[in-house]
Amino acid sequence: MKGAVSIALAAASCLSMIAALFMVFVYAPTEAEQGIVQRIFYFHLPCAWVAFLSFGIVAVAGALYLWLGHRIWDDLSYAAAELGMLFCTLVLVTGSIWAKPIWGTWWTWDSRLTTTFILWLLYGGYLLLRAFGEDNQEIARYAAVLGIIGVLDVPVIIISVRLWRTIHPAVLLTRQGEHGLQDPRMVAALLVSLGAFTLVFVWLLWLRLSTLRLRARIGGLRKELALLEVAGAGARR
Amino acid sequence: MLEGFGPIVRKDLRLELRSGESTVALLSLSTLILVVMVLVFGPGGARRAEVAAGALWLALIFAGTMGSTRALVAERETGCIRALLLSPVEPGTIYAAKLSVAMIFMAEAGAGVLLILVLFFNLEFGRALLSLIPVFLLGILGLAALCTLLATVSGRVRGGAMLLPVLVVPLFIPALIAGSKASAAVLSGQPLGSVITWIKLLCAFDVLFVAAGYLLFEHVILED
Amino acid sequence: MDHLSYLFAAYSIIFVLIGLYVVFVSRRQTRLEREVTRLEGELRRFEQAQTPPEQHRSGI
Repeated sequence: MKGAVSIALAAASCLSMIAALFMVFVYAPTEAEQGIVQRIFYFHLPCAWVAFLSFGIVAVAGALYLWLGHRIWDDLSYAAAELGMLFCTLVLVTGSIWAKPIWGTWWTWDSRLTTTFILWLLYGGYLLLRAFGEDNQEIARYAAVLGIIGVLDVPVIIISVRLWRTIHPAVLLTRQGEHGLQDPRMVAALLVSLGAFTLVFVWLLWLRLSTLRLRARIGGLRKELALLEVAGAGARR
Repeated sequence: MLEGFGPIVRKDLRLELRSGESTVALLSLSTLILVVMVLVFGPGGARRAEVAAGALWLALIFAGTMGSTRALVAERETGCIRALLLSPVEPGTIYAAKLSVAMIFMAEAGAGVLLILVLFFNLEFGRALLSLIPVFLLGILGLAALCTLLATVSGRVRGGAMLLPVLVVPLFIPALIAGSKASAAVLSGQPLGSVITWIKLLCAFDVLFVAAGYLLFEHVILED
Repeated sequence: MDHLSYLFAAYSIIFVLIGLYVVFVSRRQTRLEREVTRLEGELRRFEQAQTPPEQHRSGI
């Protein structure tokens, strides 16, 4: 049953990804101003969408964990944080690759770039906590709190970074072409890749979640075994 | 609701009065950071106010995170946290008390840092320094709110004391931007009214995280 | 680098990173599955070892 879901999700993600690639490279016309590099955008924006979605899941699942106390919520927020980190990295990397030919630089402290980068740092901290911490309830609760205040921080970060950029001497290069999807075929390509990325995200989330469920199972088995050993030792004595 | 607040604060302050450990640690660390900043950027120059503001906030962030870790490690070693949890005091009240204590330590260290800052960077004692005080207090309130909430990591995770700044600094970035921009403007002689946007942002940040800390503290302080 | 190589780089990085992540997760999955079967086997052996003395006791 579990295996079937996983295979179905994998197949659906692969098919939709192929469809998205077709839409992006064959169906959508080349943008006039930026040329072929603009096609990066069709995968760049879905990555950003998935990254934000998973950070939302981290906070909501964290809150549910604190409220209901069931382990599945903790596993879900952990899995979502890892995927958020993966897609946030992809956003930053593809953004940089796009910025180099268009803006002439890999990185500028543009407000959106800066905000994304701060988010990346936040969730880097979250994952470090998970990596250093053991698999227990104390760490799970702490991580839930961290996820919640991380998401609370996001609007404040966005406002502060925007103010910081407008008060500073502004960058000469502004983002052009992002909203310039003049052709309906471009919009269609974007929508298809958004769908494809969402599917890939669900698939990866499912995969990661099932490894985390196994981890929980192993913890339970170990505990049971240890109890039996103690009981056995007591009985022998 | 705030029963037990007074005794906790008094106890922590009395301990500090006896040993003076936190004050010494915070002041020496922040002085060193200031010295490094002066050596790297030079004391004079056109951007003096900005460098001074940057030095102030850098010193505060690191001294603040280190200080709150230290305070908490001592609490755990003496079993004080467990005793507090057994007492009928509410977790939110413990948070408020710990936040106030952290705030007092940081303000105290900050006063020292400001004094050194004026001397090192050749600033004037005067109106500019006075208008820096509200900005400064709002900034450390936000920092103390975050540090008090998150400091329990140091006892729970290997290398947790190292991890605390990694968790706190990204969260603190909005207040850091607002605080350092406002401080730089004020130190370069502009009136407090010109930085009202930044002050509003700092207030919003403080309200948000003090409320979040008050509500969420019970989840980080519970032990299994 | 011309624009085509930027495009190529961006798309290949996306697929390489996602692919690496899938490989990393499924390797962890197989390792954990092996661990689960090992633990379950151990548990069963333990239970089998426990039962005889009890039968013995009930026999008296």
